[in-house]
Amino acid sequence: MSVLTAASTEIYESGDSALRVVAISETSEHNWLTVHGLADWLENCGAEGLHGAVPTYDSVLVEFDPILVSARQVRAFVKLGLLELGHTGESAHAPREFDVPVVYGGEYGPDLERVAEHQGISVEEVIRLHTHKTYTVRCLGAPAGSPMMDGPAFPKPVPRLKDPRLSVPAGAVAVAGRQAVIAPAVAPGGWCVIGQTPLSVLNIRREPLVPYKPGDILRFRQVGPEDFNEFLGMELEPLP
Amino acid sequence: MSGGILIQQPGNSVVTDLGRFRGPRFGLPVNGALDQYSARAANILAGNLDNDPLVEITALDFRMKANSDILIAVTGAPLTLTVGGRPSSQWEPVSVRAGETVSIRGIHRGLRAYVAVHGSIEAETLLGSVAPDTVVGFGLQLKEGTILLNRRSVGPVRQPYFDLPLFRLGLERPRMDSNLLVDVTDGPDVAEFGESGELLYTSEYAVSGRSNHIGLRLGGELPERTSSGEVLSRGVPVGAVEVPSREELLVLHRGRGVTAGYPVLAVVTSTGLDVLAQARPGDKVRFRKTTVAEATATHRRSRTQLETLRESVNTVFGLLGIGCRPQWQDLPVAACS
Repeated sequence: MSVLTAASTEIYESGDSALRVVAISETSEHNWLTVHGLADWLENCGAEGLHGAVPTYDSVLVEFDPILVSARQVRAFVKLGLLELGHTGESAHAPREFDVPVVYGGEYGPDLERVAEHQGISVEEVIRLHTHKTYTVRCLGAPAGSPMMDGPAFPKPVPRLKDPRLSVPAGAVAVAGRQAVIAPAVAPGGWCVIGQTPLSVLNIRREPLVPYKPGDILRFRQVGPEDFNEFLGMELEPLP
Repeated sequence: MSGGILIQQPGNSVVTDLGRFRGPRFGLPVNGALDQYSARAANILAGNLDNDPLVEITALDFRMKANSDILIAVTGAPLTLTVGGRPSSQWEPVSVRAGETVSIRGIHRGLRAYVAVHGSIEAETLLGSVAPDTVVGFGLQLKEGTILLNRRSVGPVRQPYFDLPLFRLGLERPRMDSNLLVDVTDGPDVAEFGESGELLYTSEYAVSGRSNHIGLRLGGELPERTSSGEVLSRGVPVGAVEVPSREELLVLHRGRGVTAGYPVLAVVTSTGLDVLAQARPGDKVRFRKTTVAEATATHRRSRTQLETLRESVNTVFGLLGIGCRPQWQDLPVAACS
């Protein structure tokens, strides 16, 4: 159990119903732990009028009902929460692990070759680097609770597509900048799609809708196109 | 036996509520009625809870037939409302007899109308809300032949009672026209736009036809970001004003993706979002700078009006014997003894 002292933060007004809290310490890990710790604290503090918190990498958007609570009161709550972080010493939930089978390239990963070319490495090397590391889910983002992760150890950041696709299929495994992601639902997207997992990630009949939480660990594993159908209909689930 | 409500002409309509407030935490937008004031008013006028499911109609004509006696209220943009062929008023409770058709035609000046049914209607929920989410494919989009189940029937109310000045008890109908004034506060990234940020307040913008519940696209003189470099994905508030391209200003509405990497120049106030919910393609928008404190005060004043309306409605419904407290009316007799 680790005791987290909150990183220094700045709080910005974000309209009459939200505040943005940004952690500004020099280590990104510390910032991430701070904003997620704060989001959990706010979620559990039971304060009236707080709708919830959206934590990402170094920031958390705190949304509230301005009829029930004022921006000033929420600011005070946030400061209290940051102080409490240093004293509760409760670590986040124990991370669970997920194994994600991926078919790389071809129709499943239309941008694989483009990424390899831009990086100046082979397609095999892109796949090796992508499957080599373990990924921590940093936050749930748009669309539909996508697991946002720090990307593989590519030589260079990956540029976004100049013309974003109007539709990227569910299960698309994509990279952009220094980030990696899986698309839980069909949506437009400008990230480079290098593969696709046959597992279904999103299930709107279940709560939570996606199986992972920030802090959980994902690993990608290459499977062949002939294996794709074998996994179809199965859900992404944590390893026992 | 309620009999339900048969959708005869759906136009572009959905069942929604005030939104999925727990959604953003899970990466889902809040969604819900875009004009929150009109949606709340409709439910209050129908004797419902503010957050009860109701029908949101966007732009197109709509018709439904009541299979039992019901009580409805229609709010939002100006339109022509008839019930069983009789012209009827918006912004007040209206009795509909079994077999009668409710027709909504010619939505103008604004874009969206709301129909609340006393006792509200049944719909599936996701994270506690019936609001449609187009990205995850959830929600009840109405089709010809859809049958909405209303939770309670209300006997015909003799119209004379409603000659009581229900709708003159101080409820302000939102003013709608094609020149919109929208209040905003400084966004968290206003500094990134330097002096060009002022353009937002001196220019006039035109609403593009590519606007929807996710965001409004506005053409006009664009502020420019002076800083450069990748921005980390961050939670963006509903109402965020961004400049993602050189062509258009983007104002995010309730269907917005919860995270994005563009700097936020300004944020539209809660009341300003209701104004934008009624913006039609081609309408002109001007932005006015305000403070969070003032925006909150304005928002609270408008809510106070709705609370006053609720009291009036409760009083009138009480006199007429219409159950405006469903949780009491529906209690089994045994629970009261």
